[in-house]
Amino acid sequence: MSDFLNKDNNIGKINIDYSEFSQIENETKAINSISELKEDEIETLHSVGINFQDYSDTGKFLMYGVDVFSLTPKIPGVEIIPLKAALLIYPEIKEKYYFKAVNKDQDEFTKTAFEKEQNGYFIHVKKNVKVKDPLHTALFMHREMSTMCIHNIVVLEEGAQLHLITGCASGCTIQGGLHIAVSELFVGKGAKLISTMIHNWGPDFVVQPRTATIVEKSGTFVSNYYSVKPPKVIQTNPFTHLKGKNSNAKYMTVIASLPDTYNDIGGTVLMEGENSGAELVARAVNHGGTVIQNGLLIGAAKNARAHVDCSGLMLSDRGYIEAIPGLRAVHPDARMSHEAAIGKIDIGEVNYLQSKGLDEMQAIALIVRGFLDIGIEVEGLEPELEKTIQEIAELSGHGEE
Amino acid sequence: MLKINNLHVNIENKEVLKGVNLEIPHNEVHSLFGPNGSGKSVLISTIMGYPEYEITGGEILFNGQNINQLSIDERVKLGIGVSEQRPPTIKGVKLRNLIELLMPGEIQDETFRKGMLERFNMDKFLDRNINDGLSGGETKKSELFLLMLARPEFLILDEPDSGVDPEHLKKIGAMINETLQKKIQGNELCNPYGRNSGLIATHSAVILEYVHTDKAHIMLDGKIHCSGNPAVMMDQIKSNGYSYCINCHQNI
Repeated sequence: MSDFLNKDNNIGKINIDYSEFSQIENETKAINSISELKEDEIETLHSVGINFQDYSDTGKFLMYGVDVFSLTPKIPGVEIIPLKAALLIYPEIKEKYYFKAVNKDQDEFTKTAFEKEQNGYFIHVKKNVKVKDPLHTALFMHREMSTMCIHNIVVLEEGAQLHLITGCASGCTIQGGLHIAVSELFVGKGAKLISTMIHNWGPDFVVQPRTATIVEKSGTFVSNYYSVKPPKVIQTNPFTHLKGKNSNAKYMTVIASLPDTYNDIGGTVLMEGENSGAELVARAVNHGGTVIQNGLLIGAAKNARAHVDCSGLMLSDRGYIEAIPGLRAVHPDARMSHEAAIGKIDIGEVNYLQSKGLDEMQAIALIVRGFLDIGIEVEGLEPELEKTIQEIAELSGHGEE
Repeated sequence: MLKINNLHVNIENKEVLKGVNLEIPHNEVHSLFGPNGSGKSVLISTIMGYPEYEITGGEILFNGQNINQLSIDERVKLGIGVSEQRPPTIKGVKLRNLIELLMPGEIQDETFRKGMLERFNMDKFLDRNINDGLSGGETKKSELFLLMLARPEFLILDEPDSGVDPEHLKKIGAMINETLQKKIQGNELCNPYGRNSGLIATHSAVILEYVHTDKAHIMLDGKIHCSGNPAVMMDQIKSNGYSYCINCHQNI
């Protein structure tokens, strides 16, 4: 009984001994160029939406363990460079962006990132530059029980547009590791940033991303997060500050939780800009792990509009889904709503699809696929995301383990 | 083709079918009359193999094979297809997704598009959630359309006329007749021996003005009470209602 009434909100928590992971390294030379990636590594990257074999003008960034490779797209006004290099070339980054959205003292992971960051990407899109094709960036861990500690900064100037895909993955034979990532995103006046992140980790990984976004007047931030294969533990609560009037944020989160995994994935949006709007949509399919869907929208401005929708599908009699759709109004004119639903697959729907000729696995996979279909903005990466959703759905069609 | 012997079925330990006997030979379509709650839908769901219907006695034979233990999709593979009375809406699942799984590649095929999707005006439903927001007639059309794709040897239609306005009824009737033909295209359309078999459950019997059935059965309280000529039985029901049947104790 006490398990179900845990007041400390520690349900399903997994204790981690962080001393098991190796120290943060700064020098290796595992590969010399992107072309040295092995077949299985290329395939793993494909599973998280990343295609470095595409020789188009699309920009690329790969962090392979500690080694960094980047290719700036042949589009005037767009830059992707390793953060360490960027800090040397543009000293003003330190003043304007470096730990300006994320508080370096927020917790032990932000502190570690501040003290020991290895590298990361710096992406800069200049005023009114609209990048048509998505930029592909990948953070790839190839050594057993290693630690990756990175820091990314993305800056979109006024009127700029960018679709950024970040694939985070481990090599297919790698069991464990620690991934710490600080990301700071700055969306300028009237700019639009779509950030799509897809994760695929080994079973003993611990993943601690810390992300914060600042959105100026009439800016739009869309965050799509997919977890194809969850790590043992992931804890993240990305924060978005809608600072400007008419600014907007949308979070779409889709996760499949496997047995003995702990997935605490939230989202917090502070709406301080008049007439700003936020929407959080979370979907979780549970196969026996723990899922915490923690969404908090804070309405702190006139006519701020917000909606949270957390839904979970229990496909196992083990594990938990805890949906916590939170609303906090601190302005009398904020309009906010929420919905949450957790349930199992409707057997009537499975029977119906079987009566049309699908077998049971196909029927369940199709229903889960429908459940996960939350209208994610997929311009330019439809095939990859489509494949990812299909993989998550098929996982459901093949039972819990 | 379909033979049911002394079928007893329970739902949550309560007996709802109490010894059903029914035989539908090749090339014959039978109608199944009965008031609401008489057990028509239970019989259909049991023939399809829905797991919540527990067979406690008797057997269902399809082309001589006992199918009591087969899963729903195994029965579909043998050639049984169903059009449901109230099919569920499935959130996020588009008709297109289902067709893609049932007929990989066909949806992009021009012949298929023109031949099936456009002819039955189903294009507009492709990207909608299955059965979401459809009128009674549209729901039946969508169900029949899926049956036409599967082209089963044995069709089961559960109340194909309920909730359908008179204008749509004629179209529904035409779709049923086309589905009952063994081949959708070619000369066999006119061949009376090229007809599939089927069972049409209806309590109002209005669909029978458009679809010919060879024999009718009346179901009352979980049993088939009597069988005979569909037109005669339909007339009796229309003029005297099912109370006439309840008072008449003729058994098959």
